Amino acid sequence: MDAVWCKIKADVTGRPLISFLITLTIVAAATLLTLALATLMNIAAPYDRSFQELNGAHLWLYFDRDKVHARDIQRIAALPGIIGDTGLQYDVRSRVLIHDTRVWISLRTVPMEVGPATVNRLLIQEGRYLTSHQVEVLASKDLNDLHHLAVGETIRITRWDGKKVDLSVIGLVYNPMWDTYRNTQPPYLYVSEATLRRLFPDDSTWGWSIGLRLQDPTAVDEVLARVEALLRPDAVTAHTDWRDVRESAIFGAQLNFVFLGAFGFFAILATILVIASNIGSSVLAQFRQIGILKAIGFTHRQILTLYVGQYLILGLIGAPIGLLLGIVLSPLPLKSVAASLSTTYHPPVNAPLVGLILGGISGIILLATLRPAHRGARANIVQAMAIGAEAPRSKPFWGVQLATRLGLPITFVLGLNDISARPLRAFMTGLNLTLGVVGVIFGLTLNGTLKTYEENPALLGIVYDAVVTREAMSHNRTQGLLRRAPDVDAFYSEYLLQVETLQGQKFQARAVEGDLEAFPFQISRGRFFRPNTYEAVAGQGLLDWLGLTVGDELLLIVDDREERPITWQIVGQYPEPVNAGQMLMVSWPAIARRLEGVQPRTYFLKLAPDANITRLKHYLEPRPESDLNVIFVEQALPDAVVYLQVAIFALGGILITIAMVNVFNTSLLAVQEKIRVVGVLKTLGMTPAQVVAMVNTTAGVLGLVAAVVGVPLGLALTQGILTVLSRDYGFGRVQVTLNPLYVSLLVPTMIFVSMIGSIIPGRRAARVSIVQVLRNE
Amino acid sequence: MNHLVEVADLTKTYQIGDVAFGALRGVSMAIAAGDSVAIMGPSGSGKSTLLHLIGGLDRPTGGSVTVDGYRLHMMDETALAKFRRAHIGFVFQFFNLVDNLTVLTNVELPALLADRRDKKRIRRRATDLLEKLGVADQAGKYPWELSGGQQQRVAIARALINRPTLLLADEPTGNLDSASGHQVLDILSEFNQQGQTILIVTHDAVAAARARRVLFLRDGRLVGHMPGGDARRIAQRLTDAG
Repeated sequence: MDAVWCKIKADVTGRPLISFLITLTIVAAATLLTLALATLMNIAAPYDRSFQELNGAHLWLYFDRDKVHARDIQRIAALPGIIGDTGLQYDVRSRVLIHDTRVWISLRTVPMEVGPATVNRLLIQEGRYLTSHQVEVLASKDLNDLHHLAVGETIRITRWDGKKVDLSVIGLVYNPMWDTYRNTQPPYLYVSEATLRRLFPDDSTWGWSIGLRLQDPTAVDEVLARVEALLRPDAVTAHTDWRDVRESAIFGAQLNFVFLGAFGFFAILATILVIASNIGSSVLAQFRQIGILKAIGFTHRQILTLYVGQYLILGLIGAPIGLLLGIVLSPLPLKSVAASLSTTYHPPVNAPLVGLILGGISGIILLATLRPAHRGARANIVQAMAIGAEAPRSKPFWGVQLATRLGLPITFVLGLNDISARPLRAFMTGLNLTLGVVGVIFGLTLNGTLKTYEENPALLGIVYDAVVTREAMSHNRTQGLLRRAPDVDAFYSEYLLQVETLQGQKFQARAVEGDLEAFPFQISRGRFFRPNTYEAVAGQGLLDWLGLTVGDELLLIVDDREERPITWQIVGQYPEPVNAGQMLMVSWPAIARRLEGVQPRTYFLKLAPDANITRLKHYLEPRPESDLNVIFVEQALPDAVVYLQVAIFALGGILITIAMVNVFNTSLLAVQEKIRVVGVLKTLGMTPAQVVAMVNTTAGVLGLVAAVVGVPLGLALTQGILTVLSRDYGFGRVQVTLNPLYVSLLVPTMIFVSMIGSIIPGRRAARVSIVQVLRNE
Repeated sequence: MNHLVEVADLTKTYQIGDVAFGALRGVSMAIAAGDSVAIMGPSGSGKSTLLHLIGGLDRPTGGSVTVDGYRLHMMDETALAKFRRAHIGFVFQFFNLVDNLTVLTNVELPALLADRRDKKRIRRRATDLLEKLGVADQAGKYPWELSGGQQQRVAIARALINRPTLLLADEPTGNLDSASGHQVLDILSEFNQQGQTILIVTHDAVAAARARRVLFLRDGRLVGHMPGGDARRIAQRLTDAG
C-alpha cells in the first residue's frame, strides 16, 4: 500500500498542471451540481413550505353578519379537529387609487401581536410589519405585480364618508390563503383594527371571517360540515379550502417549475458527464503508465486504488470549493425566484444536501475512474506500454487524405491526423467540447424561449394589449366609447359566468363577444368556437380536472339558476393563464338570452402597433373618478416572468461560463497529452509557430465538430426536457425558441474558444524543451 | 581547413534545485565535412548533451557551436528549428517516430515541414530512401507495427530526407538486437562513404569502431581521441578513460 500511496502522491504533485485542471473541472462540476440542487430545492413545493412556515389556515370561513354572533366564533374554535384559529378578522371592500388606477380592494385587519403560534401569519416580502396605532397599511404582493405598488408609496382610500385619505405602504406581504379564484377575492390591504375603525367607524358594515388550522389538513369538508351544523343555515357565505389555493399557486408557478426544473435536471446531467468524460479521458491517457506499473508488479486492485485514490483526493479538494462557490452564487438567481413564488429563499447549506453534493461528486469520480482504470488494468502489458489506450487507426481518415490532396499545410494535416488517429481520445475530447456546446445552447434556448413568451404573451393566453372594466357606465355606452377610442383596433367584451357541473364542480366561464377574430387566441388542440353557438374552448386545467377531452360535451348549470342546464360541446383547448387553467370560454350571445339583466363588465382591447397609451388612458379615464378603468398588458404580465427571466439569465450565464471553462480545460488537457509528439516534431524542425498552428487545428476542428453536433443535440435535449416538464406541470406545449443569430455566432465562437483554449498549451508545447522530452524517453 | 562543425570552449550547466551541475565543461572540437566521428564515454559524461548542442536542440551555457557556418549559440528558437530541418538529421535510440503517422509520412515529414511545394519530389525521395534501407514494403504501416530494427531504418530514412549536412545519431543501436544493430551500422557506414558527415554517440565499441575518429568524454571534458577501426582497442581505451 505504501507503493500505491507514494505513486498517488507523485502523480498528484508531480503533474501540477494536470492535477490543477482536473481539480478545476471538479470545482466547476460541484458548483453546477450545487446550483442545480439549490434550484430544485427552492422550486420544490414552494406553497407547502410557505404554508408550513406561516402556520397557514386550512379553512377560511366568511360569515353573514346577520346570522352569527361572537359566541358562535368561540364555539367554532372549540370544535374537535381544529387546533388553532386566527381569531375573528374584519374586512371592508373599498376602492383605492394606486398611482392613477382605481382598484377594488379588500381592507382587512390583522393582529398586532404576532408570534410563532399565530395562525396564518403574513410573509413579509419587503418592508416591515405594522406598528401599533400608526395609520399605515401592508399591501398584498399582487398589488406590486399588477400595479407596481412599492413600499414607501401612498395609496388614496375612500373613507366611509366619501373623503379621501392617504395611507403609507410600509410593507409588501404574502398571505397563504389569498385566492383570487374560488371566492373572487380582490387584492388585500392589511391594517390594524384601530386603523379600520378610523376609516370605517361603523363596525356593523364590517365583514367577518376566521381562518382555522386543522389537525387533519385533509378534513376540510368534514370540519366545514360541522361548522355549518353548528350555525344557522347559510351563516357561512363562502369558504376557502387551502388545497384550492395550493392548486392555484402551483398553476401560477408552472412556468418557474418548467424552466428552472429543466435547468436543474440538465445541470445534474452535465455534472455527471463533465466529470466522467474529463477523468475518463485523463485515465485513458495514462495507459502507457498503467502498462509500466503492471510490468513492475502492480496488481489489478492496486491499479484501481491508485487511480481512484488520486482522483478522489482531487475531488476532496475540488468538491468543497465548488460547493462553496455554488452556495455563494445561488442567491443571485434564486432569491428573486423564491420571492416570486411567495416563499423564502433556502440556501443549499443543510447537512443532507451538502452530504449529497460531496457524496455525489465522489461517487461520480469513483465510477468515472473505475471503468477506464479497470480497462487499463486488464489490458495487455506490452500493448499498453507500446501504444497506450488504443492503437492508431490503420486506415487514414478521409479528411486527412483530402487535406493532403488539397495541398493544405502539413501542420493542418498533422492536426487533423491527430484527431483521426486516436478516435477514442478524440471522441472523449469531442464529447467534452460537445457538452460545452450543449450547455451553451441550453442556456441560450431557455433564455430565448422565455423571451418569446415575454414578447408574445398570447402564448401564455394573454391575447390582448389592455383591459377595461366599467362600473356604472352602461355596456352599450362603453362599447360606443371603445369604438371611438384612439388607437383601439379591436375589442371584445367578457362576462364571467359562475358555472357548476351536475356533480357539483364549480368553476368560471368566460362568455365573450366582439372582434374575436382580431385576437391571436392560441388553440393548441381543435378549433375556436363559432359565435352564437353552444360550442366552447377549455383550458387544459379544466379538461384535466373534469377528465374531459376536446370533442366531449359538458352539461352545466349557469349562475346558480334553476333553469335547465346547458350542454356545451368542447371544440378546442386554449392556454388559460389564470385559475389553474380551469376555465371555459363560450360565446356570450348564445348564453345572453338565458341571463336577463346582466351585461359584460370587462373589455379586452387590441391596440394599434404604435398606440399612444397616455392618450388612450386619458380618453378612457379623463378624471380620477372616471367610471372606466384601464390596465395595459405590461402591467398585467406577472413579475414572476421577469424574475424568472433574470434567474434563467443568471443560471444560463453560470452554465455557459462553466461550459466554456470545460471547453478550455479540455483543450488544455488534450494538448498536455501530446507534449512528447511535439518534442519529436520539434527535433525534425517544426517551428514554434507550426506547433501552435498544429495544436490550433486539432482544437479548432474538434470545436467545429462539437458545435455542429452540439447545437442540434442541445436543442433536442432542451426541447425534450421542457416538453416532459411542461406536460408534467400541465403547462401545455412549449414553443422552444433559439435565435438563429446565436447559432451562427456559436460555431465560430466554439472554434475560437477551442483555439484560445489551445493557444496557451500550444505555446507551452512550442516552448517545450526537446532535451527534456528526449530525456523522459 | 574548413570544418563543418566547430565547437569552442563549450559549457553546459544544469541547475537542479540549488545545485548547479556541469554537464559540459569547456569542450572544443571540430568535424570536417564527410567525416564520421563517434563520441564515447561513461554514463553522465556529457555525450548526449554535446550531441544535443551540436544539433541545435539545446542552448549552451557558454562557448560556441558553429555548424556549416551557422552560429547556433546566437540563433533564436524559430531559426534553430529551420536550421535543424535543413541541416541536421537525427537518429535516436528509441526511434521517436510519430506513432499515428504511417512510415511513409514519417519519412516525408521533415521535408513537408520545410517545403511542401514539390510533393512529388518528396514522395519520390522518401520512397527511394525506404527502398535503399530495405523497408519500402512497410511504407503504409504504422511504426508500432514494425520491429525495432525496421523502425530504426525508418528513422534513418527520415533523418536523411532533407539531405542534411550532418547526421547525428544518439545510441542508434542501443535498443536493437545484435543483427539489427549491425544492419543499422552498415547503413550508416554506407551513407558516410557516400559523403554524409556523421556524428554518433554510443556506448558500444563495435559501433564506435565504424567511425573514422573516436572522441572520449569524461565528466564533461574531452579526455582523448583515437582513430576508429579497432573495437577492442576502443573498448580498452574506454575502460581506461572511465
